[in-house]
Amino acid sequence: SMLRYKLIYFPIRGRGEVARQLFYLAGVPFKDDRITISEWSSLKAKTPFGQLPVLEVDGHQLAQSFAIFRYLAQEFGFAGDSPLEALWVDVTADQHKEYENKIKPALRFQGSEEEKEQLMRNVAEPARDKYFPLLEKIAEEHGSSGHFVGASLTWVDLLIAEHASILLKQFPGFLDRYPTVLAIVDAILSTPKLKEWLEKRPDTAF
Amino acid sequence: YLSLSNMPNYKLTYFEARGFAEVSRQLFHLSGTPYVDNRIQRERWGEFKSMTPFEKVPVLEIDGKVLPQSFAIARYIAREFGFAGRSNLEAAWIDAYADQFKDYLEYIRPFFKVAIGASQGDFEQLKKEFAEPNRDKFFGFLEKLAKDNGLNGHFVGDSLTWFDLLIADHILTMENFVPGFLDAFPAVLETREKIVNTPKLKEWIEKRP
Repeated sequence: SMLRYKLIYFPIRGRGEVARQLFYLAGVPFKDDRITISEWSSLKAKTPFGQLPVLEVDGHQLAQSFAIFRYLAQEFGFAGDSPLEALWVDVTADQHKEYENKIKPALRFQGSEEEKEQLMRNVAEPARDKYFPLLEKIAEEHGSSGHFVGASLTWVDLLIAEHASILLKQFPGFLDRYPTVLAIVDAILSTPKLKEWLEKRPDTAF
Repeated sequence: YLSLSNMPNYKLTYFEARGFAEVSRQLFHLSGTPYVDNRIQRERWGEFKSMTPFEKVPVLEIDGKVLPQSFAIARYIAREFGFAGRSNLEAAWIDAYADQFKDYLEYIRPFFKVAIGASQGDFEQLKKEFAEPNRDKFFGFLEKLAKDNGLNGHFVGDSLTWFDLLIADHILTMENFVPGFLDAFPAVLETREKIVNTPKLKEWIEKRP
């Protein structure tokens, strides 16, 4: 079949999941091309930056996860209801990226309990406590009861909800100090069409 | 107060430097949009810090609403004034390369901080360790991009974009620190030449503080 869109990524949620969710929420068919490591080694040099995800649109390749998410969100109406809202979506996403980069080493760590605890205390908790108050402030000033920015679902809602759901599986209670965030995440994950996708998507660890 | 036009009131606040505000200043100038180019002295930063959403500049005020983050600001203004490509896909391409550029800036930071005098360190050693390999990777992408785009004077599409401005300004900065820094990337340099010779931009470059 002649599908306009193909998303190329590994068979994980990772940096591809928000794109898949956007397609599903918009009801737009796409080829969900989940590739193996060996397929990747031959494809890598043919991608713009040697990285995944890559989105093919009518045969043209687009790389970089946030550029892909923003593009699909703009096309399908998940980028905020005005250019100013779109700016706050972008700003929130960038703040989120900065936080995720800081906390990642602590979340993926496989070592002694003592080292894990140290990483939690010295890396994860400070990163959390720097970012989540800002996120609450953004939601207070620019969001609504079910959204971080604006009054309709945006790609940054999906980004943060996806991260929070992984985080809380690994560290229940980690966000207890941020009830506003938890309430918004809950509301996002309860969106009917998203809930549908969450139930039927391939089950992967991360 | 009375606004004499439908145009919003724009005020851009940053230090007395090109830095992360220059692209936005250029966009205002190129589009002929009036704005207040608010330059603050570093010694007075303490007074302004708490008035910004994330304690950083630049910030853009639009009718009093304060917006942070240089790339989000540049993207917003570029889309408003027509410097973000001719389609959503072109705009996305620009975003992708701008994100790569941001990563490259992070990687060269140890060198950059010393080059601008914000830290102490071995300039030559940091240049070899951080600036050169990351330059080769990122500008390698740009060299291909410029060639694939037909050496038409733009990195993406056939119209001036905020990404063109971003790269041209960065090259100026790097050449000040390391003359000939990009000599191995002739298509990039040719594209830069065409960008900075855009009449309205040339005008700004000549008269800017």
